Amino acid sequence: MSPYILFVMLTSLGLGTTLTFTSSHWLLAWMGLEINTLAIIPLMTNKHHPRAVEAATKYFLTQAAAAAILLFASIYNAWYSGQWFIQDMSSPVSTLMTLAIAIKLGIAPMHFWLPEVMQGISINTGLILVTWQKLAPLALLMQISHNIKPELLIILGLMSTIIGGWGGLNQTQIRKIMAYSSIAHLGWIISILHFMPALAMVNLFIYLIMTITMFMTFNLLNSPTINTLAVNWSKSPILAATSALALLSLGGLPPLSGFMPKWLIIQELTNQELAPTATLLALSALLSLFFYLRLSYSLSLTIMPNTHPQTLNWNMKITTPLPLSLMMMMTLTMLPITPTIISLF
Amino acid sequence: MTHILFTISTAFMLGLTGLTFHRTHLLSALLCLEGMMLSLFIALAMWSTQNDMMIFSSSPLLLLALSACEAGLGLSLLVATSRTHGSDHLQNLNLLQC
Repeated sequence: MSPYILFVMLTSLGLGTTLTFTSSHWLLAWMGLEINTLAIIPLMTNKHHPRAVEAATKYFLTQAAAAAILLFASIYNAWYSGQWFIQDMSSPVSTLMTLAIAIKLGIAPMHFWLPEVMQGISINTGLILVTWQKLAPLALLMQISHNIKPELLIILGLMSTIIGGWGGLNQTQIRKIMAYSSIAHLGWIISILHFMPALAMVNLFIYLIMTITMFMTFNLLNSPTINTLAVNWSKSPILAATSALALLSLGGLPPLSGFMPKWLIIQELTNQELAPTATLLALSALLSLFFYLRLSYSLSLTIMPNTHPQTLNWNMKITTPLPLSLMMMMTLTMLPITPTIISLF
Repeated sequence: MTHILFTISTAFMLGLTGLTFHRTHLLSALLCLEGMMLSLFIALAMWSTQNDMMIFSSSPLLLLALSACEAGLGLSLLVATSRTHGSDHLQNLNLLQC
């Protein structure tokens, strides 16, 4: 893509999210979400491949429908209560608004578009989809979180973690696995949203770091399936070693940073007398951990002399880019500074 | 007020049902999306007349501008789909399963 067009699209993406962040009127927030949808579609259909066009069509239909439902809920709220202020949403449509934002985010049971759309687009666009496109709807959800029934958010969170864990078990394509990983992590984020939004932001922050690490790793290694991951130890041994640990951090194992949000969320849910919910969330994290372990097995435990049926590639030297090193370091080592991270939010 | 709100809500829900239960053509889904946006346009226009406040009179136009952009995007995706998949039949959009 020409650098000028890429610049325009990326600036529009930034503009849309910033517009939604800074707005207190529902119409402006809706406009920011629409601009985000408009800006990412050309990035998706950059290569005119049938899978990319199909993914863009499915993404467009779901996001446009969700934005229309969001606008309908805000207009109903304006008719009902006479004002457009985002934080004063207290009409019966707050549930509908939450469901519309859940469609935009890909939270179960409205998650069916996410694995297919992730499969059809390139890994870099998938990174934008999973990280940047989640920020604006989550900002809206955080602003109305005190007006939503907490049972709705708990149910959505539980379903997301369980479906995210279960759905990823039968996948061999890396992008679909990362899509189900996104669904599961978003489930953790929204389950604590009503009780302590600061913890939801901590979880989002750590999740963004871990996901950016994994996506940049998969982009560098250029492997679309689990089979092709096995030959990457020869391309970059350091990446084979550290990305195994990064995957375990995604699974939420101590002493890596991924344990931090899970620990804090389970503690807060227990303080709110929701210990069975916390137990179910923790048990469903085991399902995700299984497919992360499968990925890390292929990545780093099939080094010589353990053989793998995949044919070896040419041993081209690849240099790890600096952002990947930075994100990898943050993925693995941030657990001891948990109080600092909490004080940031 | 409640009669108007009921009518507009019914119109929106009918369009949403048409969008979710689309059967054969992608174009019918896009048409239902446009129907939903039209019902929201009418709702916004009636809201500013209900309140006798002229300050928000231009909000239907803002909605119309964004929804026209979205409709253009949908149509361009329809053209791209018919170029890659041969038609706009929704049964042909099955390349991404597993």
